[in-house]
Amino acid sequence: MRVWYRNFSFDVVLVWAALVCVGLIAIYSTTNGPASEFLLESVRHNFFRQSMWALICSAGIGFAFMLPVRFFQNAAWPAYVITLLLLVAALVVGTEINGARSWIRIGPLQLQVSELAKVGTILAVAQLLSAKRARIDTVRYALYTAIVITIPGLLIVLQNDTGTALVFFALVPIMLFWSGLPLINLMLIVSPAVAAYLSIVYLPAAFVFAIAFTLLVYYQTREFRIGAMAGLFTLGTTLLVSQALPKLLQPHQVARLLSFTNPGSAEFRDNVGFHLVQSKAAIGSGGLTGKGFMEGTQTQGAYVPEQSTDFVFSVIGEEFGFIGSVIVLTLFTILLLRLISLGVQMKHPFGLMVAAGTVGVYLIHIFVNIGMATGLLPVIGIPLPFISYGGSALLAHTAMLAILLSLHLRKDDFSIYGY
Amino acid sequence: MSLYDPKPRLKIFVVLVLLVVTVLGLRLAQLQIVDTKDYSGESRNNAVREKRVVPARGVIYDRNGVLMVDNEPTYTIMLTPRYFNEERIGLLANLAEVEDSIVVRKLQEAKEWSPFQPSVAFSNVALDIISRVEENRYRLPGVTYATTQRRRYLSDGHIGHGLGYVREISRRELEERRVDGYRPGDLVGIAGLEKTYEPYLRGEVGSEFKMVNIHGREVKEYRDGAEDETPVSGYDLHLTIDSRIQALAESLFVGKRGSLVALEPSSGEILAFVSKPDINPRIFSRPVTAEEWSAMVSTPEDPLFNRATMSGIPPGSTWKPFMALVGLQKGIITEDTVYRCRGGYRLGNRLFKDHQGRVHGNITVKRALQESCNSFFFNLMMQIDVNEFHRWATYFGFGKTFPLDIAEQNQGLIPDSSYYNRVYPEGWTAGFSINLGIGQGDMLVTPMQLARYTATVANNGVMKSPHLVREIRHPETKENAELQLPEDEIVPIDQKNFDIVREGMRMVMTNGSGRWAQIPGVESGGKTGTAQAPGDRDDHSVFVMFAPFDDPEIAIAVMVENGGYGATQAAPIASVVVETYLNGSLSPTGKWRRNQVATLVSQPLDEKQ
Repeated sequence: MRVWYRNFSFDVVLVWAALVCVGLIAIYSTTNGPASEFLLESVRHNFFRQSMWALICSAGIGFAFMLPVRFFQNAAWPAYVITLLLLVAALVVGTEINGARSWIRIGPLQLQVSELAKVGTILAVAQLLSAKRARIDTVRYALYTAIVITIPGLLIVLQNDTGTALVFFALVPIMLFWSGLPLINLMLIVSPAVAAYLSIVYLPAAFVFAIAFTLLVYYQTREFRIGAMAGLFTLGTTLLVSQALPKLLQPHQVARLLSFTNPGSAEFRDNVGFHLVQSKAAIGSGGLTGKGFMEGTQTQGAYVPEQSTDFVFSVIGEEFGFIGSVIVLTLFTILLLRLISLGVQMKHPFGLMVAAGTVGVYLIHIFVNIGMATGLLPVIGIPLPFISYGGSALLAHTAMLAILLSLHLRKDDFSIYGY
Repeated sequence: MSLYDPKPRLKIFVVLVLLVVTVLGLRLAQLQIVDTKDYSGESRNNAVREKRVVPARGVIYDRNGVLMVDNEPTYTIMLTPRYFNEERIGLLANLAEVEDSIVVRKLQEAKEWSPFQPSVAFSNVALDIISRVEENRYRLPGVTYATTQRRRYLSDGHIGHGLGYVREISRRELEERRVDGYRPGDLVGIAGLEKTYEPYLRGEVGSEFKMVNIHGREVKEYRDGAEDETPVSGYDLHLTIDSRIQALAESLFVGKRGSLVALEPSSGEILAFVSKPDINPRIFSRPVTAEEWSAMVSTPEDPLFNRATMSGIPPGSTWKPFMALVGLQKGIITEDTVYRCRGGYRLGNRLFKDHQGRVHGNITVKRALQESCNSFFFNLMMQIDVNEFHRWATYFGFGKTFPLDIAEQNQGLIPDSSYYNRVYPEGWTAGFSINLGIGQGDMLVTPMQLARYTATVANNGVMKSPHLVREIRHPETKENAELQLPEDEIVPIDQKNFDIVREGMRMVMTNGSGRWAQIPGVESGGKTGTAQAPGDRDDHSVFVMFAPFDDPEIAIAVMVENGGYGATQAAPIASVVVETYLNGSLSPTGKWRRNQVATLVSQPLDEKQ
């Protein structure tokens, strides 16, 4: 006898719940600690609000399970169109928070449409790439994919929400990877980013990388044209970043970009480096076991700006130490690997592509967010999925998960043979 | 073209996920395990502020348990530049009742010291200003206040040069004493007892660790006070001083320059210790401006100069009991040896005259003391080798310093042959040293040495070490810290010779130059002295005395600079102090004497020497 919930992934839901709880614990600590009376009134109710969002999201997962199996495929393009309309609407009638015009007010709710846009975009890309032809004409479909992702990405750039926009652009190579674009092309697309990063961190490494990469590409392809492109991309980026960047950008932008390698220096310490100095001090001082729940001095003293949103990891690092941080990383790892396996188990490419997109978005967020909090990457303001305070982000990230789980629950009814 | 199957790319993607997680995990290990010490330090500097809890400085009592010096609370407004909002300068100036420019200057000074640490902006602030600042606290980030203490002087006599004073530690001294736990704004004893007994008086500073938030406000105890250290209060000093006669003695020195030291002969305890003019230690309760300080330092009266232990003067005739003791002990004279005084002593073609050329006729040693006959002692000095003289003077503590809880001392000058050889390389004769016999010439003693010598004569040659502190007692545990008093010294002179000389000194008081200082109903011994002052100034008035005669309870030495004869100013001062100490009050004669001497002054100084 097959029960209806045979394919229900309890473990994934548990990991999700665990991560949401970690987030609530961290948010509670930042807003209800012994020093909370000194916090701004608006911040003090963060824990309550996030709890409400968590309940809404739980209900949302249940709701997603009830939807028919073809719903998501049918809804993909309409959702994408609605996403674009919302993004344009936010530009026109939206409210501005922290300099980004990506918020729309609906009754009592403030929704960050740039976060929600991820869902519609992922569905659209999944739908696009699950077409039969996509598996033959990979290069053409790679181009379509890039366009589908870049349009909302550019709208979000216009909203001045650079962090979220970067997630979209970073999603392009990940989706292209799944769409079947030859690896060499993919490496060419990614290589300028690597070269740029290395030029900021350690210039000689960038040159070594540029030369090694060019040679590798050339010997793999034996095509002078592609080798030359590799050289142009990597060396060009390296030279651009190391030589021309200060002339192209405003000084404060350059400082923001470069300061993460040395945030504590006198020049950055009290301005662009402040977040990072405080965040690293919080995480590093947590040590192996942490200072204890609501005992972190950095957290309770509110030293890390945005400590319940983008820098929430500093709270975990400080109060729960290396052990707590590794537990969170492990939870994320389990989640990502399980989602990949869910995707693979599905007999329909749409399911796999949704899984790929979802894992891609999560991976970018985790890497950039924790990398930023620990000083590996420049400060880019994006939330840590399920943990950072913020209803829209929690809703968007949970929605992707719920869609994937719903598809997987009915994977037996949903196969390529059922076209 | 073949159909693309995405599944083979799975492995690569899994590797990518694991790679990202591994990189982040390694980075966390680096921050939280390898470098955790650095970051712990950084986070502690940020968020944990050590509040020092300075215990009450030990208080000071006199010998009878009368409180002379204690502490009173005072408020200090502190500025932490990092948190201070410069738009609020006007508000703060308004509340503190000062000009805006003063707040601007204080802020600048605070920034120079440290932008992150609170610096003292205004000290000794009135309580109502503090309460107004407290009411506006939310509008004044970076403004805090602290309760500190200052010395309160309760006694009329302030023993300026003995007690010394307490002042905010200077930057230079701070560098030296930082290891001892001193911090900017701390009080430190600068001179006298406050300096000598600083480690006892100060106690042990405690700490409270507070967590501060990003705006610099204390939000809670750090680790619930687990690292706090309780302060240990300082020891109290119980002085040998009698505050009543100290105050009296100081009042008698108004308008005078000079000093007074009174000792208890049997113990060496200092009953009164005066050096005038001096600086009232009360003025150091607030910051002293550079102008005030230079005014104090540049006055010709030199109030910073501790005349009791630092001024060297020739002792004049107060030296004669010493000469008599040496002569008797060496057998040069006996009690009955008669010397014929012709009003002067002829040495070669020079005549060393008696005072006002007076002829004393046939006299013995006692009468020579009573009449203060110079010729007798010139004659005696001619029979004593100058090195022998030096040796005997050293027995009485002259020409050297001795352990004393007030640090600075002048050793004085007692010449010997090598001194004369050095100073007079062309040669010297007995004429150079004969004046030593009457306490003049190339010799200097301090009032403290004179008092100690007088006490030794009164005490039959047992020389006690003078000291100002009787007990160093902890106010809570009542435990006493050990006083380190030097051993007694014994002057090798027979009892009978002391008796003879003391009898001479008694005769000084009954029928000699000290008779105007006699205390009704109390027998005493004394000796006047008139020491030549440099230049054309009036002589220094010197007097030594002990009483009661049979069982001396007090020995005193008084010196008034440019005060004339010993009997004029020094003797009545000594007499009034001794009478008050012994009887508790003054007889009508004593009162008259007190009123009389209070009107006298030192010959004014026209300019600094």
